[in-house]
Amino acid sequence: MTPIAVALDLLREAAARRWFLALGLALTGLLLVLVTSLRLEVVDGALAASRLFGKPLDHSIQAADVALRPVFLAASQVVFWGGLGFGVLACADFAPALLSPGRIEHLLSLPVRRWELLAGTFLGVLALAMAGAVYASAGLVLVLGAKTGVWTGWPVLSAVLSALAFGSVYAGMLAVTVWVRSAALSAAAGASLIVLGLLATHRTALLDLMGRGPGRAFFAGVTAVVPPLGKLADAAGALAASAPLAPGGLVRLLAGTVAFAGALLAVAVWRFERRDF
Amino acid sequence: MSAAFAVTSLHKRFRTRFGRTESVALDGVDLAVPRGEAFGLIGPNGAGKTTFIKCLLGIAHPDSGTVELLGGKPEDPRSRARVGYLPERLTLPGAWTPRALLASVARLKRLQPGRAGLDGLLQRLGLAEVGDRRIRGFSKGMRQRLGLAAALVGAPELLVLDEPTDGVDPLGRVEIRQLLAAELARGATLFINSHLLSETERICTRIGILSHGRLVRSGPLEALTSVQQRWRVRFAPGPPSEALVALGFEPVEGGAWELAAGDATALNQALDRARGAGALLVGLERASRDLEDVLTEALAAGAA
Repeated sequence: MTPIAVALDLLREAAARRWFLALGLALTGLLLVLVTSLRLEVVDGALAASRLFGKPLDHSIQAADVALRPVFLAASQVVFWGGLGFGVLACADFAPALLSPGRIEHLLSLPVRRWELLAGTFLGVLALAMAGAVYASAGLVLVLGAKTGVWTGWPVLSAVLSALAFGSVYAGMLAVTVWVRSAALSAAAGASLIVLGLLATHRTALLDLMGRGPGRAFFAGVTAVVPPLGKLADAAGALAASAPLAPGGLVRLLAGTVAFAGALLAVAVWRFERRDF
Repeated sequence: MSAAFAVTSLHKRFRTRFGRTESVALDGVDLAVPRGEAFGLIGPNGAGKTTFIKCLLGIAHPDSGTVELLGGKPEDPRSRARVGYLPERLTLPGAWTPRALLASVARLKRLQPGRAGLDGLLQRLGLAEVGDRRIRGFSKGMRQRLGLAAALVGAPELLVLDEPTDGVDPLGRVEIRQLLAAELARGATLFINSHLLSETERICTRIGILSHGRLVRSGPLEALTSVQQRWRVRFAPGPPSEALVALGFEPVEGGAWELAAGDATALNQALDRARGAGALLVGLERASRDLEDVLTEALAAGAA
């Protein structure tokens, strides 16, 4: 499984980078701060008055899992958007480094197919995003579970959803890099996709504000294919908070996101197979 | 003897991003290198040497022509698995250690050499003591040695080396030459692209000269550098110069003389006459040129 070998090499490279060491330390530090400073009192399986850092969240007595929903929702949003932002910055130069003159020639001379190199790079970055998101959310679940007795795996699943959303953004970054080897351009493509994803979230409302014409048609076309990241973030939040989701909504969102990432990867592979180095 | 690789009528042009201009990198190159040979490709900068290697290994796509690499196609990973390649300007991941790099190359080649095998390679290249140090702090020479070690992973049948001694100190060059000689003795085929003619001359038994994308000379080193029907003669000090000149000997640098003789009989007759004139023969060899002369002549002929 060559793509797995390439992905593992990327993870080894990431492990040797200060960026990712800093991320790991920051996440661990944040979780330790929560462990030592979070004050939550639970009475008979319910939060008598849920207090976060000493301030009441809600005055009514309610079930602990319900009271914790805002916490999980907020944590999920932080993991989703923070993860996207950090991922775009931290992963922008993986593919440009892989394609750098003198390195790509060596890699292409090895018994590795070109598509395997790209697929391995994508999988490696996805695994990295997944590991970061799962580590943060699992840590949060452990801290809150130990404090409140509420044990739920949904925040971890929500983190996986966040990592998948980042995967669609990274597919765009990878496709851009195959055309132009530039970490800055790769990061710019990622940031643009996040903005477009936000616009796609409010597509209907924005289209209503636009007058008819080619600009509107262009906007409608672009936002029709870009994954609505805001909706994905909301879905991830709902999952984390164990809140109800619209039936079939998440499946459609995920299918669209995976299709978008797949299409961008296919374009990247098409270009990569034809490119001379 | 079968060919390690054979290319036929290889053409490659490069176009600018918007296709306004194009340059010819390879213009119908035909070349076959037998297995077990040490072949050196020489030529001026921009002659197309690196492009040739890239087309050979499937790193660049030729516009037309055929490439056969170890009996297969360069696109076939099974062919490339039997090749070791050292690129001209090798970029290595700075955060890695040499041991991690070689282990990665071995994994991508689907090999399991084990720690001992990798240590042995590092030892051969004089990198054993820095095997666990980050590559980031390596000198150019050390990086070059590491690149060579990476090319040697799995004892490949064909070694394609682009400027293998670039940035390596003189002592290191000797070591690399010895290492390449050992690879050749093992049965590997060497294909070396170098602008250092003396290095090429010392390692390779066959030479190709590339100029403006065309192979203008190719053949055994001895045949290319020898000058047909000319002999270099050395006499004891104080030879009768005027008599020698009258007999057709031409003085050359280093106190030697050169003589044109169509066959052994003519050569011996001329030598007998020189000895008869008082000259004492102390040395005789076929006149040869160095590779620089051959290259200069080939490039001049190619430009004409």
